[in-house]
Amino acid sequence: MKIQVNARNRAYQFETTEGEKILYAGLSEAIGLPYECASGTCGTCKARLVSGEVIDGWPEAPGRKYLKDDDEFLMCQCAAKTDVSIEVASFVQPIEADVCVPAAMKGVISSARLLTPDVIHLQVRLNQPMEFDAGQFMLVQAPGVAGYRGWSMVNHQREAESLEFIVKKKPGGGISEWLFNTDCEGVEVDLFGPLGQATFYPSLAKNVLCIAGGSGIAGMLSILSRAAQNDYFSQYKGDVFFGVQTLKDAFFLDEFSKLRTLCGDNLNVVIALSKEEAPASALNDHPQLKFDTGYVHDVAGRHMQGGYQNVRAYLAGPPPMVDAAIRVLLQARMTTDNICYDKFS
Amino acid sequence: MSKIRICNTAEIPSNGMKEYDTEGGLKVLIANAGDTYYAYQGLCPHQEVCLAEGYYDGAVLTCHQHLWQWDITTGKEVGTLAEVPLEKYEVQVEDGEIFVVQSSALKAAQLFMDVSDDTLQRLDLLARREKYGSGGVLYNIGDPTDDLYILESGRVEFLIGRDGTSPAGFVLRKGEVFGWAALLENQERRIAKATSLEDSVLLRLNGEATLKALESDPVSGYLVMRKLSTLITRHLGSQGEK
Ligand SMILES: Cc1cc2nc3c(=O)[nH]c(=O)nc-3n(C[C@H](O)[C@H](O)[C@H](O)COP(=O)(O)OP(=O)(O)OC[C@H]3O[C@@H](n4cnc5c(N)ncnc54)[C@H](O)[C@@H]3O)c2cc1C
Ligand code: FES
Ligand code: FES
Repeated sequence: MKIQVNARNRAYQFETTEGEKILYAGLSEAIGLPYECASGTCGTCKARLVSGEVIDGWPEAPGRKYLKDDDEFLMCQCAAKTDVSIEVASFVQPIEADVCVPAAMKGVISSARLLTPDVIHLQVRLNQPMEFDAGQFMLVQAPGVAGYRGWSMVNHQREAESLEFIVKKKPGGGISEWLFNTDCEGVEVDLFGPLGQATFYPSLAKNVLCIAGGSGIAGMLSILSRAAQNDYFSQYKGDVFFGVQTLKDAFFLDEFSKLRTLCGDNLNVVIALSKEEAPASALNDHPQLKFDTGYVHDVAGRHMQGGYQNVRAYLAGPPPMVDAAIRVLLQARMTTDNICYDKFS
Repeated sequence: MSKIRICNTAEIPSNGMKEYDTEGGLKVLIANAGDTYYAYQGLCPHQEVCLAEGYYDGAVLTCHQHLWQWDITTGKEVGTLAEVPLEKYEVQVEDGEIFVVQSSALKAAQLFMDVSDDTLQRLDLLARREKYGSGGVLYNIGDPTDDLYILESGRVEFLIGRDGTSPAGFVLRKGEVFGWAALLENQERRIAKATSLEDSVLLRLNGEATLKALESDPVSGYLVMRKLSTLITRHLGSQGEK
C-alpha cells in the first residue's frame, strides 16, 4: 500500500505491507513521524485520514481518547487497507543521520531470571546485531499475546547482539501473566526498534539527573553504562534517584555500587523507599549508596535543591510518578527542553 | 470576535489559571500574574489538550502532554520544544469582571505577533477578509505573487508539479501565513496552486503595501522578517534546530 503523509512542512511517501502499522513503516523509512509510547496509550501519533481506508488493530486503545474527530486515528495501531493519504499536524523531519533507524527483527529469549518476586530480568538474543542509543526502548511481541509492549534497554553496547530488559509484573497484564507463569526461555519474539528520544550522548556535556520509579530504572542503567564507558563522570555530575516501595522491591544495588566504584564521587545514587525507612543492614551492605524515605520525586527534590545548573533530566516510570517529577523540575525552573521522559503507560 | 464577558477576577487564583467555554464555542484560558490577567486559546496548539490541565507558575505555562512552554505575558514560545506561540486575546478588566476582546484578526497571525499596535492598525486596513468554499482556488501555479494570506478558519491544500496535481503536503494551522513569496524579491510567480478544502476564511494582504507599512516602522519590520526567515528555513526542512 502507498502512504502519502502531509505534514506541516512537507509531504512524504512510503509503502507498507499488509498489516504493517503505519507508524512503524514510516519510521523504518527514516521519516520522523510523531510518537511517544508507540503502543497505543499516549495519543501522540494521531493523524487524520484524508483518503483511503485503515484497519484499527486495537479499537480499545486508551490513546484514542485524545482523538476528536471520526477521521482521526492512531498511526501506531492502524494499518493501511488501501492506498491512503493522511495529514499529520506537526513538523516532520527525516530522522537524522546519526540516529538509529528502527527496524523489525526477531530474537530469542535466552535468559529469564527473577530479580524480586515481581521483577524479571530478560535477555533477548537478536537475529542481527543492532545499534541503539542509551535510553532507548524496544517494542516486543510475544506469541499469543496481542500487541507490542515497550521495554527499555538496560544494557548499552555498539552493535549489540543481545538486549537486556527488566519487566515489572502487572497483575492481570497480558505479557506479565505470560512472562511470570511460563517458561519463556528459548521462545522466539518479534521486536521493533530502537525507539525513543530520551537518549543520552556523551557530547551532551551536562550534568545528568535520573529519576526512576520501579522498572523505570532500566533506561537509566543504559545511560549510566554509556556514560561510564566514556569516563563521563570525571567531568560531570550524575544524580540517580531510584524509587521503590520497600527495600525488598529494590534490585541491581550491587550493580549500582560497582558503578559508584567505577565512576567515583561525582556519581550519587539514592534509593528512595516510599513505604519504609531503610534498615541499617542496607547501609552496611551498600556503603556507597544513599537511602532515603519518601516518594522518589520528593526525595529527588530535597537532595537536588540548588543543584540544577547545567542539568539534563531523564525520568521514567509509572505516569503519575513521571508527572510528579516533572512538576518538581518545573518548580525548580528547569526548562522542558532539558527534561526527557518515558511514561510506562 | 467582539467583547465577551468571561468571569469575575475573584475566580482566578493568584498566579493561577482557569479555563472557560464561551458561548461562541471558544475555549479560553485566563491566567493571573501579579496584577495582570491574560487570556489565551484554551487548547494546546500542538494536539488540542486542555492547557488548564498543565503547569503554570505565574510566569511560564507548560502543557502537560509534551511539555511545550510559553511566556504568559506574551504567549511566545519558551525553550525549543514549542513550535508555535499561543493565540493571545486582549483582556479588559472592568469592575472586577474580565472581558476578552479581539481587536485585530491579524494579531492571531504568528508573522505579525511582534508588530507595534500602530503598524498593526495600518496592516488591518490593508487586510481583506475572503471566504472560499470547498474546492475554491486561491491562486494557481504561475500566478503573480501579489498577495499574502492568513488562514483564519478552514483548511487549505497546496498542489505542486508541472500540472499542479501532486500535493505539496503542507498542513496549515489557524493563524498561519502563506503565499509569503509576496514579501520576497525575485519570486514573481506562484510555484504552487492553493485550494480551499472546506469552507475557509482568509485574510488577504497586498505584499507591496505590507512591505511599505513595515518600512515606515523598521523595528516591527525587522521582527517580521526574522519570523519570516525562520518560517522559510522550517519549510525547507532544515535540521539546524535540533
Ligand atoms: C516507552 C515505554 C517504555 C517502557 N519500558 C518498560 C520497562 O523497561 N519495563 C517495564 O516493566 N515496563 C515498561 N513499559 C511498560 C510496558 O510496555 C507494559 O505496559 C508492561 O510491561 C505491562 O504489560 P502487560 O502486558 O503486563 O499489561 P497490559 O495491561 O496487558 O498491556 C500493557 C500495554 O500493552 C499494550 N497492549 C495491550 N493490549 C493490546 C492489544 N490488544 N493490542 C495492542 N497493544 C496492546 C498497550 O500498550 C498496553 O498499555 C514501558 C512502556 C513504555 C510506553
Ligand atoms: S505513539 Fe501511538 S498512542 Fe502513543
Ligand atoms: S498537546 Fe500540548 S504539548 Fe503536545
